[in-house]
Amino acid sequence: MDLPGYYEYYCGVKIIAGHDALERIPVILQDLHACRPMIVTDKGVAGAGLVDIVLGAVKDQLTIGAVADDVPPDSDLRVVNRLAALYREQDCDALIAVGGGSVMDTAKGINIVVSEGADDLMKFSGAGALKRPLKPLVAVPTTAGTGSEVTLVAVVKDHERHLKMAFVSYFLLPDVSILDSRMTLSLPAAITAATGMDALTHAIEAYYGLSKNPLSDATALAAIRLISRNLVEVTRNPSDREARLAMANAAALAGMAFSNSMVGMVHTLGHATGSVCGVPHGVCMAILLPYGLEYNRHKREAIMGELLFPMGGSDVFAGTHKEQRTDRVIAYVRQMNQDLHDASGGRHARFFKEVLDREGKPAVPRGRLPDIARTALGDGSIFYNPEDLDYDDFLMVLEAAWEGVALDSGRIRK
Amino acid sequence: MNHYKEMQPGSKPIKRAYVALMLWFVGRAIEAAARVDGVVKAEFDGLSPGFTFSLGVMPQGPTMIVGKDDQGLVRYRGWDPEGQKIDLKMKIKNLEGAILMFTFQESTALATARNRLIVDGEVPAACAIVRVLDIVEVYLLPKLIAKLAVKRYPDWFFGEKIRNRIRIYAGAVFGL
Amino acid sequence: MFQPQSAYAFYSPTKVLSGNKALENLPVELDGMNAVKPLILTTPVLSARGMEKIVASAFGDSNLTIGVFSGVPPQPDLRLIRELYGLYRDNGYDAIIALGGGPVLDTAKALNIAVSGRPEDLESLASGNPLTKKLRPLAAIMNLDLSGCEMTRYASLGPLSLTSPALIPDLMIIDSRTVPEEEQKTMAATALMSMTQAVEACLHPARNPLTDAYAYGATRFIMENITNVMRNPSDRKGRLALANAAFFAQTSFDNLAPGMVYELGMAMSRSCQTNPGLIMGMLLPHFLLLEMRKETTDRKDLYLFIGGPEAFAGTMAEASSRKAVDRIVEILLELQSIVADFPRSIRDLGIKKEDLEKIVAQGSAAGVRGEHDPQDIRNIMEKAWETRF
Repeated sequence: MDLPGYYEYYCGVKIIAGHDALERIPVILQDLHACRPMIVTDKGVAGAGLVDIVLGAVKDQLTIGAVADDVPPDSDLRVVNRLAALYREQDCDALIAVGGGSVMDTAKGINIVVSEGADDLMKFSGAGALKRPLKPLVAVPTTAGTGSEVTLVAVVKDHERHLKMAFVSYFLLPDVSILDSRMTLSLPAAITAATGMDALTHAIEAYYGLSKNPLSDATALAAIRLISRNLVEVTRNPSDREARLAMANAAALAGMAFSNSMVGMVHTLGHATGSVCGVPHGVCMAILLPYGLEYNRHKREAIMGELLFPMGGSDVFAGTHKEQRTDRVIAYVRQMNQDLHDASGGRHARFFKEVLDREGKPAVPRGRLPDIARTALGDGSIFYNPEDLDYDDFLMVLEAAWEGVALDSGRIRK
Repeated sequence: MNHYKEMQPGSKPIKRAYVALMLWFVGRAIEAAARVDGVVKAEFDGLSPGFTFSLGVMPQGPTMIVGKDDQGLVRYRGWDPEGQKIDLKMKIKNLEGAILMFTFQESTALATARNRLIVDGEVPAACAIVRVLDIVEVYLLPKLIAKLAVKRYPDWFFGEKIRNRIRIYAGAVFGL
Repeated sequence: MFQPQSAYAFYSPTKVLSGNKALENLPVELDGMNAVKPLILTTPVLSARGMEKIVASAFGDSNLTIGVFSGVPPQPDLRLIRELYGLYRDNGYDAIIALGGGPVLDTAKALNIAVSGRPEDLESLASGNPLTKKLRPLAAIMNLDLSGCEMTRYASLGPLSLTSPALIPDLMIIDSRTVPEEEQKTMAATALMSMTQAVEACLHPARNPLTDAYAYGATRFIMENITNVMRNPSDRKGRLALANAAFFAQTSFDNLAPGMVYELGMAMSRSCQTNPGLIMGMLLPHFLLLEMRKETTDRKDLYLFIGGPEAFAGTMAEASSRKAVDRIVEILLELQSIVADFPRSIRDLGIKKEDLEKIVAQGSAAGVRGEHDPQDIRNIMEKAWETRF
């Protein structure tokens, strides 16, 4: 295990996991000196009956101050302010966020407003603006992928001023994250597959990235092992509770790894593809992950080879010569996409030309690839990628990922 | 009480002076590079009118400020942030971190990976400025050192690079 | 390994800064926690070795005022806390930096309880009432002369034993300048303590993916570095790796109930005034041999932690836990050949046969909880007393 010349690591989120972890919420809040939480969630989560499960788990032991179940997928400052007002009106003293990335971001935004008494959230954007703990925040993720239950970033959009405010602070981390298998049991196969590949990408990019460190390595390896053993299985068999819990654990572990080691070009291109073509994040991650491995390979060959152990297990690892391990790792990721494609009845996309929008039309027209490449130049995740990429490099990777062919190693500038 | 004392940890004037000199040099080199190198110019052209950024050391400097003027020309704007509208602040967390960077023991990429810098401002602009700093480093440093400072050493056309390098050094040192 | 086996909770609120110029990040980190005037606590010995000057110089150019108290004794008591309480309050300090091992952290944690609330909170916590206030920032600067509980929720102060997750330091700094060479035996004892904590964590029935991850980091670093550092104490990177390992091991330990070897080691160390790390090192192989005879599935991957993926994958599954024990014994034998008067049994540590009887008889009164089979305890202690490696 390698010790870098310098590293930092932090994840102060308390993790509570289990098939009935939600039942611990009343005690958790008591420890945090809170007794009247507001639940923040969205229509989809509420509609799937997940809020009822949460309410059922805490009933009789806790007064819920308010349930806000209308966070839109494209949440913004207006929503944050409206729900902060509701929090105050109902005299709440903690937040329980039940949902995915957008719900988490909104809850973090509400927390800044109600804790700091902020009228202008903007004052608290940027590094170091928050200096003291906020109100207790309990995160209950309903997908196993984003890792936002353990990350310290919140992005809040201001649609009126056309701004995207990023808040970065340790005080934005949830106090507690609850990983409960019931929250992901009803997730459809395609979303299970895509979010699971998002988690795998977090772990793999964290493991080969420039900020890797012993703790991000250990959490990443654990996540990769869990995902390799459970993701295809749970996509085939969605009601497997053990596999669901394993994936919830994996996503949190991968979240810890990448929020400390950061991510690289797979995310650079994934963010750009998401913003130009509106493709869901996990779908982009699944498609682009093999290319992150291929493109950076010449700088990280030995490190990437180590991934074969958590992916393939002892026998495969011991039976593969050192020089061939990275090849096997890349093949393994591609095979996983193929297996998920099959397990989801063809809904899990393997390359960009296969991705369809809501109307069934191609979501990533080949002609948009230059736009994506240009947008990628402005994404900060590129700093943590082992090898540099300019516009031409981005475009080369995108074209291969569109077609679904391996990168031509001769065209990678070294 | 025995064993107790209160103290004011001193300052580090020599290290400060060295970093201040390097910042001054890099600031003026960026101004010169924006004149002679097409890529650097294009990066600045892509930034908003009047865009200004600072690179400095916490908590109290030294700092250098570079920005675009009314004509869109890139100018070194001195060391004093007082009264300047700064869009992007890049702050090195402490003097020792700055020494590591400016003695080229840590590249910009490594310093970022090691969380030595705090970036306050729009991320796309920060990306552009880091690319500019990389190019300027390649001009200013001998190949052997610059290879360590950037992830990928560019395969520039040799003659043009020498010419630009002389002009950038002249700009940085003599303000030509 | 890493498969979640049951419900679990895991908590590690410490931010780690490890490596080159880590100390110089202290001012900026304290500022992020709204603290501007820290009080450094350390021992006369560390102070005389120039450690406090190194830490103070890290604050150079930061504009901050710092205080230094360098009189932490080996057995801190309530009287000291009361004095420090006055000093902290009167001079307007707002954070504590603990420079040193065991007693320094015990003092720092106790002082932090007092200054964040009232000095009476110490007795209140010791008698089982939870803390109600968030504590002030506490940073720990780790070295290789450790008690095993520095980065955990535990502290003890004379007769008071204090337990609260709020006591865990907010920051941990590992910097080669403040991880100096210690005597070989001291460093070996610290590493064996970490090893015991990590190995017991990965054999623990309530292990979870996160305790596994921390235990994995700890065992890998110890196995890769322990003999190198003993042979060549000027190996800075090796020393840093061992200090990191100590933190990882303590964190996995802190999230599970203490294991049998740990408890026995602490109990014997208390009753015989001997270094607990060395005792645990002598007990560990005997404990593992006994465990191997039991039919549980949880041990199969121990060799992955001890030997690493390459060695683990290259070993037949049936042979793997035996290999793990062999590796640990090999390390102990190597330590004997490198470290002057390194013990070969607990008898060499001055423990008498009748002391063993005392510990078995006292059982939980000696700090060994009832869930361990007394016959096992007796077996292990006797083996570790009689058998020399």
